[in-house]
Amino acid sequence: MTASGQGRPESRAPDETVAGATADPPADEAPLLVVDELVKHYAKRGKTLRRDAGIVHAVCGITFSIGRGETLGLVGESGCGKTTTGRAVLQLVAPTSGSVRFQGRELTGLGSHSLREVRRDIQVVFQDPFASLDPRMPVGESIAEPLHIHGQWERGTGRRRVADALTLVGLEPAHANRFPNEFSGGQRQRVGIARALILEPKLLVLDEPVSALDVSIQAGVVNLLEELQERLGIAYLFIAHDLSVVRHISDRVAVMYLGRIVEIGTRADVYERPEHPYTQALLSAVPVPDPRKERSRTHIVLEGDVPSPEAPPSGCRFRTRCWKAKDVCALEVPELIDRGGGHPVACHFPERTAVV
Amino acid sequence: MADPTLSVDKLKVDFGQGDDAVHAVRGISFTLDPHQVLGIVGESGSGKSVTALAAMGLLPKSAVASGSITYAGKELLGLREKELATIRGVGIAMIFQDPMTSLNPVYTVGWQIAEAIQAHQEVTKSEAMAKAVVLLETVGIPNAADRVGNYPHEFSGGMRQRVVIAIAMANNPSVILADEPTTALDVTVQAQVLSSLKTALEETGASLLLITHDLGVIAGLADRVLVMYAGRPVEIGTVEQIFYEPAMPYTHGLLGSLPRLDSDGNERLRQIPGSPPSMVGDRQGCPFAIRCPLRADICDREEPELRAVVGPVDPVGADSSADGPGAPADPGPAGADATAPVHLAACHFADQVVRLPVASMFPDTSADHEDVRE
Repeated sequence: MTASGQGRPESRAPDETVAGATADPPADEAPLLVVDELVKHYAKRGKTLRRDAGIVHAVCGITFSIGRGETLGLVGESGCGKTTTGRAVLQLVAPTSGSVRFQGRELTGLGSHSLREVRRDIQVVFQDPFASLDPRMPVGESIAEPLHIHGQWERGTGRRRVADALTLVGLEPAHANRFPNEFSGGQRQRVGIARALILEPKLLVLDEPVSALDVSIQAGVVNLLEELQERLGIAYLFIAHDLSVVRHISDRVAVMYLGRIVEIGTRADVYERPEHPYTQALLSAVPVPDPRKERSRTHIVLEGDVPSPEAPPSGCRFRTRCWKAKDVCALEVPELIDRGGGHPVACHFPERTAVV
Repeated sequence: MADPTLSVDKLKVDFGQGDDAVHAVRGISFTLDPHQVLGIVGESGSGKSVTALAAMGLLPKSAVASGSITYAGKELLGLREKELATIRGVGIAMIFQDPMTSLNPVYTVGWQIAEAIQAHQEVTKSEAMAKAVVLLETVGIPNAADRVGNYPHEFSGGMRQRVVIAIAMANNPSVILADEPTTALDVTVQAQVLSSLKTALEETGASLLLITHDLGVIAGLADRVLVMYAGRPVEIGTVEQIFYEPAMPYTHGLLGSLPRLDSDGNERLRQIPGSPPSMVGDRQGCPFAIRCPLRADICDREEPELRAVVGPVDPVGADSSADGPGAPADPGPAGADATAPVHLAACHFADQVVRLPVASMFPDTSADHEDVRE
């Protein structure tokens, strides 16, 4: 039942060969997913009958794309809008404005019938596998549900497909008759992945898929995701707050702060050559499990807290905590463009500094 | 030699009785020397938090504890609430994962810090309030003089945790117990809280028992590390020994399973097969055996005791000394550990394991080897 040995990680293209100067995936073919100027505002519900209690600016004009078989890591801290972005891609929340195109087809404003068709190709795995599996349903039925919904369940092949999906994620076909409570957290997450894969999607949105798992279990699920991608060529939008996991699994990485992408580039661009002060602060704050290295590193400790997304700062949203902030930062929103460093960065004063 | 400030000896904690008893802690011994940071690591259910609760006298009534926990020569296990109250805060202070479990939502933070000060010190309310402002400044709360009048809900999560650290510092304790103090926090907030915690240690000179599952936090802060598995310590050593010369397969596995911020990510993660054992009932042999690549007959028969590791002679680098505290941050007496065997591991093959390259023991597959639960 081992699913290993299919392809070595070395087979992945080295970071440097990827076209690094844009926010786009390798340009040899049209990207699978294009998100353009995506905005999502939530109206804050006020007390009693007051309507205009404020607007939460969750996602404010973000643009990125994902190529076939590619992993884009979306990182940021609580409230930065990464989960909302994932949900907007899935059309689980309707974007306020902007566009989400999948294989060239605009998803915003699609009716429920057309959306169902699209969702065959875009599936999702959530953080808490317990919450997303029906406790009263054998996991085999949970995995088969998408087949029923999309009219693909056939008597002859249905069971086989469920068994194959279980095998694919490293579980036994016989596990199909068991209930979610009979599995450990790591195994439940494997069931969640099996269910997401059964329709053979082209894009998987993974929202904090391993953050609830202990490290020794997490490693198996991360390895599984990497192997599945090599075998099936699925693209991942990998949303997580754990910068170490994101570095491990991603081809390209986008860093979000208060609803905006502040830096985007290949894994090596963002981790080895970060230019945005927030990216640098974020990376420098992650403790490295190596005592000598950790104790000799410089940690950037930011002042204060993330401002409220109800009243984000003018201009650059990071300026209130930035040690480089000048007048221009309050006046002008820095565009996310290549400023000479080889990858797009939204800062008026970018400066390449290695912090890892 | 200085008296150990906190000493735990053969501590066992059970929940329930008979065959259904959960053996949460199955015998843990350690001493926390003055000015030392001892890190306890382990996964969920390894017994690390129960150990801390026992040390604070905060075990629920359903728990049965045996063994001994002494602070400055005084036995804490079985002590009455009233006597414990004279030690809590002034002798041993505690920081929990969720600051709202220690802060009262209906009082201002200044009031709560002042209350802690007045509980153990003969000062007036206004003197205590003035000290509260100083403490808030020390832990890095901006505009401390204004913020003392705020309630906990007016602070962010990271700021609340810094208020808790201020309260922990208030009476210059000699021991601070911190149970997952930064686990629920974002990484930049974690950096702020860790920096406040370091300040607290410098200001009070307290030793720290740091319980966390985050090996990165341990690497940055701990002098010595205790690795727990299935309710027992399976390895104890200096932070350098644990990270560079681990002698227990479980420690190897933990280190190999971590994705690293400082690695280009092209290598597969090493996976420990299986999952931690159930803590219900009794079992024979090494609790890690079923997940261990070195499993032999003896592992199924005998649970290995912690014993001194005969390590390789400094294979890592010339700058690590085998018996020094290893951490430049440690201002404590260098000879504090000299009498005790420094590096202990509970493995029948520890002397072989310590010679293996770190994290090389486990496969880099994605296979699921866990047994489906009953």
